[in-house]
Amino acid sequence: MLVDSIPKALAPLNLEKVAPGDYAKTGYHLEVAAAPAQMPAVAQALLKEGCFLESLTAVDTSREAFTLVYHFANFYELCRTVVHASLAKDTEAPTISQVYPGADWYEREVYDLFGIKFAGHPNLKRLLLPEDATIHPLRKEFPPEAETKAEAPK
Amino acid sequence: MITSGIEEKTFILNLGPQHPSTHGVLRVLLEMDGEYIAAAEPVIGYGHRAHEHMAENRNYHQFLPNMGRVDYLHALAYNHGYCMAVEKLIGVVVPERAEYIRVITNELNRITSHLLWFGAYLMDLGAFTPFLYCFDDREHILDLLDRITGSRLTYCFFRFGGVPVDLDDDFIFGCRAFIKRLRSRWVDYHNLVTKNVIFIHRAKGVGVFTKEQCLLYGITGPSLRGSGIAYDIRKSEPYSAYPLFNFDIPTGENGDIFDRYIVRLEEMEQSCRIIEQALDKLPNGPIMAEKVPKRIKPAAGEVYQAVETARGSFGTYIVSQGDIKPYRIKLRVPSFANLSLMVESFKDNLVADVVAILGSIDVVIPEIDR
Repeated sequence: MLVDSIPKALAPLNLEKVAPGDYAKTGYHLEVAAAPAQMPAVAQALLKEGCFLESLTAVDTSREAFTLVYHFANFYELCRTVVHASLAKDTEAPTISQVYPGADWYEREVYDLFGIKFAGHPNLKRLLLPEDATIHPLRKEFPPEAETKAEAPK
Repeated sequence: MITSGIEEKTFILNLGPQHPSTHGVLRVLLEMDGEYIAAAEPVIGYGHRAHEHMAENRNYHQFLPNMGRVDYLHALAYNHGYCMAVEKLIGVVVPERAEYIRVITNELNRITSHLLWFGAYLMDLGAFTPFLYCFDDREHILDLLDRITGSRLTYCFFRFGGVPVDLDDDFIFGCRAFIKRLRSRWVDYHNLVTKNVIFIHRAKGVGVFTKEQCLLYGITGPSLRGSGIAYDIRKSEPYSAYPLFNFDIPTGENGDIFDRYIVRLEEMEQSCRIIEQALDKLPNGPIMAEKVPKRIKPAAGEVYQAVETARGSFGTYIVSQGDIKPYRIKLRVPSFANLSLMVESFKDNLVADVVAILGSIDVVIPEIDR
């Protein structure tokens, strides 16, 4: 059972939180909180358990910090693990693309839309927006559509 | 990844973004060593419409029409994933009949998606006739879905708490007639393509995805099942009315183009089985939950909901901070991961196989760009 073996595998890493989740409500079997610096080790442990990286994204949580959100699932057993990592703004997070090559693009997307830099990423450049763009649109200080609309011609 | 120090013996070949076989606007830079590919780097984002940013500036209802436009070929699965995520957030239970209607329309939509892939992919490989056959079949489903959803492609049919329109007798009759017709066509499809020696030579042993690669890149959908892993959200993480029906998860063995082709063809038959059972057992009752709030304002929290689309696992991740607008919506789209593995599988292949591999994972570029 992955619900038991994943917490055991994560125990040596001294993470902030490893707790069972409320699947019916959130869709998570395990909820984990870690520091961004621990993520390569967490990813390594989850890969050993046979989990794949389902998604990687960020949330602009507050003025001070982003939250990096990693979802892991398994092909053979129903067990979704979510890992939240709070990252202070203007700091870098280590990449996990050397563990999961699939994380390469996810991290580029997060860099593109949030401006979060991943230390050690082999090819950190914009993915969806044009290369010469200067904005990071999913940051909360980025103006919503209504404010960016061009003025109607007179 | 193509770096600046290109060796003398290689050259760069640009594919796309307006090439018809890239199924949308995908540009791939190929570093060529003669006829063989040394490295490939896709350039995406031409169809970026900022759906995730739009979500933060709309309320939950207003974002619903966007879902039909992320992946226009299997729009109902996206409707389904988003509606289920919001229903989980506000704690609404969908009536049984509505779940059945959702499953029936969803599976019809899956067949249209696979049929379009079948025709367009074989046209990529140079066969024109299958395209005409499958568009003929697909048209019947579009008429059926048009009848109850009101649109032909970018459906916005599901609502929070159920569906707005009930199935009528004409739809049910038409559905049964269509399944009968589609089944009679399998013989033609297999004679025309599956047994075609030119197709077999182009598809067997080309573009192989190993199980380990699938794990490292997070591949889902028929591209994964072609490699022999029976991971299908409909079975692995049952949702809606799917646990009530008998159906199989077709898998391949070698993970090459041919296996992915066979898996998709077999999946259409399984979808027919699901639709038939759902029509047989269709219960009576309401199609909308009774108490769905008009103004949706979920409590603070987050939810992740996965559904199986024609291309793989689609996940909706919603963060709510107790406002009428979502604080953050992330759409985990299957083609995104599938395309990033494809780059790896290009290596050491002939340039003539690029189009064959690209088409075989059934990418929908606007889905990746969002």
